[in-house]
Amino acid sequence: MITLNSLNRREALRYLGGAKVRQNETMDKLMDECEAQLLSAARPKFLYKIIDLPCAELTVGEDIVRHLEGCQRAALLCATLGAEIDRLIRVAQISDMARAVVLDAMASVAIEQVCQRADDLLAEAFPDQYFTFRFSPGYGDYPIELQKTFLTLLDAPRKIGLSATDSYLLIPSKSVTAIAGMSDSPVARQRRGCAVCNLRKTCQYRKNGEHCGF
Amino acid sequence: MDFNTLLQKEFVLLDGAMGTLIQKSGAKYNHSPETLNITQPGLITSFHRAYIEAGADIVYANTFGANAYKLADSGYSVEEIIAAGIANAKKACEGISALVALDIGPIGMLLEPAGSLRFEEAYEYFKQQILAGQDADFIVFETMTDLYELKAAVLAAKENSSKPILATMTFERSGRTFTGVSPAAAATTLTGLGVNALGVNCSLGPDELEPVIAEMTQYTDLPLIVKANAGLPDPNSNEYDILPGRFAECVKALLPYGVKFIGGCCGTTPEYIAELKTMLANEAYQPCQKSADSSVCSASTVVEINGPRVIGERINPTGKKLFKQALADNNIDYILTQALSQVSGGAEILDVNVGHPEIDEKKMMVRVLKAIQSVCDAPLQIDSTKPDVLEAGLRCYNGKPIVNSVNGEEKSLSAVLPLVKKYGASVVGLTLDEGGIPKTAEGRFEIAKRIVARAEALGIDRRDVYIDCLTLTVSAEQDACRETLKALHRVKTELGCKTCLGVSNISFGLPNRELVNSTFLTMALEEGLDLPIINPNIDAMTGAVRAYRVLSGIDKNSLDFIASYNDAPAAQKPKAQENMTLDAAVYNGLKSEGATVTEQLLETVEPMVIVNEMLIPALDRVGEDFEKNKIFLPQLIQSANTAQECFDVIKKHLSKSGGDNVSKGKIIVATVKGDIHDIGKNIVKVLLDNYGYTVVDLGKDVDPQLIVDTAVEQNITMIGLSALMTTTLKSMEDTIRLVRQTPALQNPDGSSKCKIFVGGAVLTKEYAMKIGADFYCRDAKESVDTAKRVLG
Repeated sequence: MITLNSLNRREALRYLGGAKVRQNETMDKLMDECEAQLLSAARPKFLYKIIDLPCAELTVGEDIVRHLEGCQRAALLCATLGAEIDRLIRVAQISDMARAVVLDAMASVAIEQVCQRADDLLAEAFPDQYFTFRFSPGYGDYPIELQKTFLTLLDAPRKIGLSATDSYLLIPSKSVTAIAGMSDSPVARQRRGCAVCNLRKTCQYRKNGEHCGF
Repeated sequence: MDFNTLLQKEFVLLDGAMGTLIQKSGAKYNHSPETLNITQPGLITSFHRAYIEAGADIVYANTFGANAYKLADSGYSVEEIIAAGIANAKKACEGISALVALDIGPIGMLLEPAGSLRFEEAYEYFKQQILAGQDADFIVFETMTDLYELKAAVLAAKENSSKPILATMTFERSGRTFTGVSPAAAATTLTGLGVNALGVNCSLGPDELEPVIAEMTQYTDLPLIVKANAGLPDPNSNEYDILPGRFAECVKALLPYGVKFIGGCCGTTPEYIAELKTMLANEAYQPCQKSADSSVCSASTVVEINGPRVIGERINPTGKKLFKQALADNNIDYILTQALSQVSGGAEILDVNVGHPEIDEKKMMVRVLKAIQSVCDAPLQIDSTKPDVLEAGLRCYNGKPIVNSVNGEEKSLSAVLPLVKKYGASVVGLTLDEGGIPKTAEGRFEIAKRIVARAEALGIDRRDVYIDCLTLTVSAEQDACRETLKALHRVKTELGCKTCLGVSNISFGLPNRELVNSTFLTMALEEGLDLPIINPNIDAMTGAVRAYRVLSGIDKNSLDFIASYNDAPAAQKPKAQENMTLDAAVYNGLKSEGATVTEQLLETVEPMVIVNEMLIPALDRVGEDFEKNKIFLPQLIQSANTAQECFDVIKKHLSKSGGDNVSKGKIIVATVKGDIHDIGKNIVKVLLDNYGYTVVDLGKDVDPQLIVDTAVEQNITMIGLSALMTTTLKSMEDTIRLVRQTPALQNPDGSSKCKIFVGGAVLTKEYAMKIGADFYCRDAKESVDTAKRVLG
C-alpha cells in the first residue's frame, strides 16, 4: 500500500512553466485546492514481478540491452493513481480549464512520487540487490508496443485496473510501466538524461536552458 | 438438468479456480491459458472433473479470456478456443448432472469515456463469444469492473441467445470497482437488465465481502452469487492465506443476505468446494428481500426516491436560443456546463432532451448522454417523443435511467413500454391519451391506472412507473390546478406510484412567475409529489424542496438543509472597483470584475472599440508575458477566460442592438483518431474561443472523415489537429492527406483551401511539415498567433 501525504510543489511548478516564473497568491491558492482534491481522489496502486534475464520478450532494441547490462534479473513494475483522477481532470476541463492544467501537472508529480515509493519498497524487499533506474516503454528505442506485454505479465488489468488502448496509451492516464535491472554486484547506474528522451527535440525545458530532472 | 431445475435446489455449488489448478499442474502454454483447451484437452477436462467430484453443480468452461482482442496473436480463433473449452467441460459432465457455463471475462481494453473502446465495439466482441458458445448451458460474465462493459455483455447475451445469465463484478476493499461502480448501482442496473443472478467474484476473500453483499441485497430480489478468492496471495510464494475450512465458515456468514450461488475464485481448489458442500448441507437459502424504494442510478450513484428528488430541466432546447445554437454547432461543452451547474444547484437527476428539427436527434442523444456520463454522476432521464431516440439512449446509458415518457395512447404504450422493460429503466407516465388531457382528476387517474396495468402486464414493477398528472397554465384555466393536485394525490395514495411533475408551466402568462411556481411546487409536494422537474439553479425552487424536506421530517436533523445554506455566501454582484480597468481585470484573471467593467464601458464606448483597443491588447500583454515565462499557463487561461466573460457581455449587447457578429471566423479542432489525451487540444480551444474565434470542437479519437465532412458542411477552412503519442502521429498524417485529397476542400486550381495547424508533445516542426501541415504550433499561444495570421 502506498499513500501520498503531500505533493512536490516545486516539481509541479516546473511542469507548469519553468522555474523562472514568480509565484503569486492566485496560483498558490489554486495549487492548494488541487492538491487537496488529488490527494483525496488518488488510489495509488503498484505491482511488481521479478523476472530472470535474459528475457527475449522484453529486451527489444539497443537501449534496453545497454540498460540491463550486467544484470541477472529485472523488476517489472507498474503503478497508477486510479481512474478517479482522470475523471477529476475531465470535469475540470469543462468547468475551469486553468484548474485542469494545474491538476494535470500535479497528478504527473503524484504518479512519479508513487513510483519513487515503489522504488524504495523494492529496495527494501531485496536489500542485497543493486538496481538500475526505471526504464519505460517509449524511452529511446524501447518500443511503446511493449506496454501490452508489460501489462499482461503483471496481470495489471485484473490486479490494479490498469490497461492500455490500441494505441498503447495507458488507462488510467496517470500511470507508469517500467523495468529496472537487478544485479548481485554493483552496476553502473545508467545515467538518465536527454539522450534517451523522445522529447529532446521539442523539450521546453531544454529550450529554456533547464532540465526536467529525468 | 436445466437451469430452472437447478434453481429448485437449496444452493447451487459453482466450481473453484481454473487458473490456480493450471498453475499448480505446471502445465506450459504459449500465449494464454485458454490455448490449453486445444493443446491439452485431457488436462482441462480432468480439472473440471475434479470440481464436479467435489460437488460442483456448475463448471465454468476455460474461456475467460477467449475474446478476439486477447487471442489476437494466439494462432487460434475465438470460435476454436470456445468450442474446445465447452467440449472439454461437457466431457467432464458425462454421466453426471452438472451444467456448463460459457465463461466470459473483461475484454482487456477499457471502454469510453475512460478508455477508447466504444460501447458498440464492446458489444461486438461479446456477441462473437456468445455465438461461439451456443453449446453451453448458460452464460457467466465475471470479474467485471466496468458496469458499462457488463451492460454491453448482457445485451449481447440477451439479443443473441436465450440462455440464463449470471453476472458478477469485482470490488476493491474501498467497496467500489476500479472504475468506481458501487454495489448498489451494479445490483440496480443488472436487476433491471434481467440477468438471472448477480453478485461478486475475485479480488477479496469471503471475510471481506460482507459490506458489498449487504449493500447489493437491498437493491435486488434476485439470488446472489459469491465466488471469493482464498484470501490474499503471498507476493513471493503465491500461496493464498484462507484455508478451505475457514473459507466455508466465512461464506456461511454471507448466506443471510440471499446468497444462493457459491463457489471459489483465485486460490481455491476442489478441497474448497468440498468444504463448501459440507457446510451448505445444514443451511437453508434465505431469498433477498429488496428493501430499497424506487431507485434509479448512474454507474456510481443510486438515487432512491424515498422523498422529493429534484430533476433538472435545463438540458432542453425548447425556447432557448443559445441551447439550440449549441446543438446546431455540436457544442457539447455547453451542454456539459449546464449539466454540472444543475448538479451544483441541487439537481439529483438530470432530464436530457436534444430534440431540434435541424439535427439528427438520435445521434445527438447518444453523443450527449455519453458525454454527460463522462463528467457527471447524477442519474439521467432520457427525454424524447421518438421511440427510436429513446432506444438509442437506453442502449448507451450506463446505469438505470428514467424514460420520459409514455402516455395513455395505444401507440405510445405499445412502443415505449417494451423498451422500458428490455433495458430495465423507470418510466414517466403522462396522464393523457388519444382524447387529450382529461379535464378532471378522475379522467387522469383512470389513464394512470391503465398505464400502470399495461406496465405490470409486461413485468415492469409499478415502483418503476412515475406518473405525471400534468401541469396546466393557471392563467388560462384556473380550476385546472386543483384537478392536477387531486389526481396527483389519488395516484400517490391509491396506485402507490411515485409521481412527477413539470412545474413551471403553471405560471405562464403571469407576472412574478417564480412566486407562483414555488407556491405551486410546495402545494404539490404536500399532495405527494416525488419528482419535481424544475430549474435547480433558481433557489426559490430548489429551496422550496429543501425546506419541504425539513418540514415534513424527511431531512433528519435538517442536516442537508444546513449543509446547503450554512456557508453559502450571499449572492452579490461584485461592484467594479473605482480604479479597475479592463486591462487589469483581464491581466489578473478577475472574471466578474471584467464583466462589470465591460458593462460600464458599453455605456460610452463602441463595442468593437472595446474589443480591438482594449480586450485584445490586454490579452496580448498576457500572451507576451507567458512567452517570456513571466506567468504560468493556468494564469494565461484565467486571463483568457476573463476576456471570454467580457466578449459574452459584448455579444449580448450586440444581439440586443442587432449589430455585427463578433466572431472572427470558424476553426475546427480535434484530437486525432486513436488518441484520447486531449487536454492540450482543449487548452487551445479555450484560448481560441476567448480570442473571439468560433471553435467547432470535434473531441478526441476523431475519425478523419468526420473532420472532412464537418469542414465541407460548415465551410470551414482552418483546422487544428493534436496528437500526443508517436503511435498516433500516423493518424494525423492520414487526416491531413484526406483533407488535401477532398475535392470540396480544394480551390479551382487544385490547391487546398484549408490551413491546417498541428501540435502535440512528440511533434516537431520538421515532422509537421513533412506530413503536410501548414503550421506547427509549439503551444496554445502559438495557435492563437497562427489563427490571427490566417483569419485576422
